[in-house]
Amino acid sequence: MNFTTAQSNLFDPAATGVAVAPAPAMIKLTDIEKVYQTKTIETVALNRVNLTINKGEFVSIMGPSGCGKSTLLSIIGLLDEPSSGQVEIAGRPVTSYSDKELAGLRNQKIGFVFQSYHLINDLSVLDNVELPLLYRRSVSGQERRQRAHAALDKVGLSARTSHFPSQLSGGQRQRVAIARALAGNPELILADEPTGNLDSVMGEEIMDLLLHLNRHEGVTIVMVTHDEHQAQKTERVIRFFDGSQVS
Amino acid sequence: MIRHIFILIWNRKRSNFLLITEILLSFFVLFVVSVLLVSNYYNYRQPMGFESANVWESRVTPGLDTTDRNGTFLLLLQELRGTPGVVAVTQTSDNTPFSFNNMNTDEYHYKGKQGPLTERYDADDELARVLGLKAVEGRWFDRRDDGARRTPVVVNRKFAESLFGSESPVGKVLTNTRTPEEWLIVGLVDTYRSGSDFAANEPAIFCRRVLQGDTRIGSREDPLLLIQVQAGSGAVLEQQLVRKIARVTKGWKANMTTLEENRQDKMKVMLTPLVALALVGLFLIINVALGLFGVLWYNISQRKAEIGLRRALGATGNSISGQFLGEMLVVTTLGVFGGLLLAVQFPLLGVFGLDPEVYLLAIALATMLVYVLTAVCAFQPSRIAAGILPAVSLRED
Repeated sequence: MNFTTAQSNLFDPAATGVAVAPAPAMIKLTDIEKVYQTKTIETVALNRVNLTINKGEFVSIMGPSGCGKSTLLSIIGLLDEPSSGQVEIAGRPVTSYSDKELAGLRNQKIGFVFQSYHLINDLSVLDNVELPLLYRRSVSGQERRQRAHAALDKVGLSARTSHFPSQLSGGQRQRVAIARALAGNPELILADEPTGNLDSVMGEEIMDLLLHLNRHEGVTIVMVTHDEHQAQKTERVIRFFDGSQVS
Repeated sequence: MIRHIFILIWNRKRSNFLLITEILLSFFVLFVVSVLLVSNYYNYRQPMGFESANVWESRVTPGLDTTDRNGTFLLLLQELRGTPGVVAVTQTSDNTPFSFNNMNTDEYHYKGKQGPLTERYDADDELARVLGLKAVEGRWFDRRDDGARRTPVVVNRKFAESLFGSESPVGKVLTNTRTPEEWLIVGLVDTYRSGSDFAANEPAIFCRRVLQGDTRIGSREDPLLLIQVQAGSGAVLEQQLVRKIARVTKGWKANMTTLEENRQDKMKVMLTPLVALALVGLFLIINVALGLFGVLWYNISQRKAEIGLRRALGATGNSISGQFLGEMLVVTTLGVFGGLLLAVQFPLLGVFGLDPEVYLLAIALATMLVYVLTAVCAFQPSRIAAGILPAVSLRED
């Protein structure tokens, strides 16, 4: 399989032969099930989930702890495989993709923002933001630097490039994480409780930043949150309970 | 990616310092073991400079018999030389090939310059024939040396080079600062490594000692004979010789061994510490390997979240594995570099007088071993890192 071709066409509906619609489906999950199995216990994390997220949407996923939100986000982010069901991204099923192809897709098309930031403490802010570009052979060192600086500029941290994560506040760290997601120029950002570790003021800052990216740069965002107030700011709220979608 | 790995290692210099130190010390231990193994192997490959096949060694013990010892001994030599199956017989000092005896001195001087510490051998005119020694310049001792004012000597090339450089030693006169004795060099042999198969070619001097005139066997001397016999001679000839010694000397005792037996005995003695050292080296290597393995395993368990993050950002399993291997190789390179700085001092300063080639080979061997060791130790943990599921590791954090 030609991986490059697959990548370049994947998010382009015209190239896949699908008629261009006003809001094409970016993610389509069909009958997704995820079961964690040990010798004695079988835990159903997701139960027959059917979900479509359109391009340019800002969707929030809500539900109590343990209801399967993060599992769902991992499956959408190609970090985990469903036990059954089909994941389609821009009309193409990705279930049969190899590790290399999935890694390429994550790198090119998806940006991740985590509740606990997941910055590498031994790397400077700039080096952290450069990380996704390290895995793109086509990007030169100079371009990597430029794009990392541009991403940090977008989140208002261009003055902190040489700082280390431990020298930043929680809100600043999350902004670095968002800059890292942006550096790869993704079409989809998956945010797992991005304001969960922040106070309300910083949480608002981060939410505003995500809204800005969605509205002005057309980035599709799927956000898991416990915060009803933040969820209401998004276009659509999907609720989960015990592994099933309830609304 | 290489730059990224360097940045990571630099920023983690404190935690990497111990690892680099461990690798440096491992390199140095491996270097020392390699020097010993390489130098012994290097010596083993060098020519011995003499033939030990078909040469028997006999210690003759006159006991309490003091009656004309010298005359009896000369008669014995004559009888032995006339025995069928015997090619040549020589009387020599106790430091025969593969013996455990040494007789070294630094008394020789040439125009005020002191010679090296030199193994001195007493030799008569027959020694060259018995041991197949070949003079590459000048000649071996013969009747022309009878009555010489200066003691005739033959030296090996190592001795000649250290005292005369590239000049020919033949005809040069050695002096002694303590006594008026002088030695005239009449010949040069290339190599003479008599200590063992692993002995280095140390400076050697053969001093002519023939039982004539005032030179007689000492009253307490148990003369030592080297007897070259025809190929294929065995126990029958040995018995004949022992009986003949007893008959001619009227009761002197003699034992008989072959140089090949002595060679095997010496080989065992020399190999024992080498094998022990190699085992100690191996034990150290296993310890270092287990240490490295443990450190890397721990590192990976500590960096699971980072691995998950990298996978999320687009790293494949192979690139994660490659990164960990790469980090280990960079850390190894830093450790080896430190070790190399120390190791190159040895050939530069000429420590222990070993050939620089030995040190360079040992450095190459130690470097290769350290890289193989770290690569082997890093391989499995790196594969484990590659197999870590990103969703699980990100959730664990």
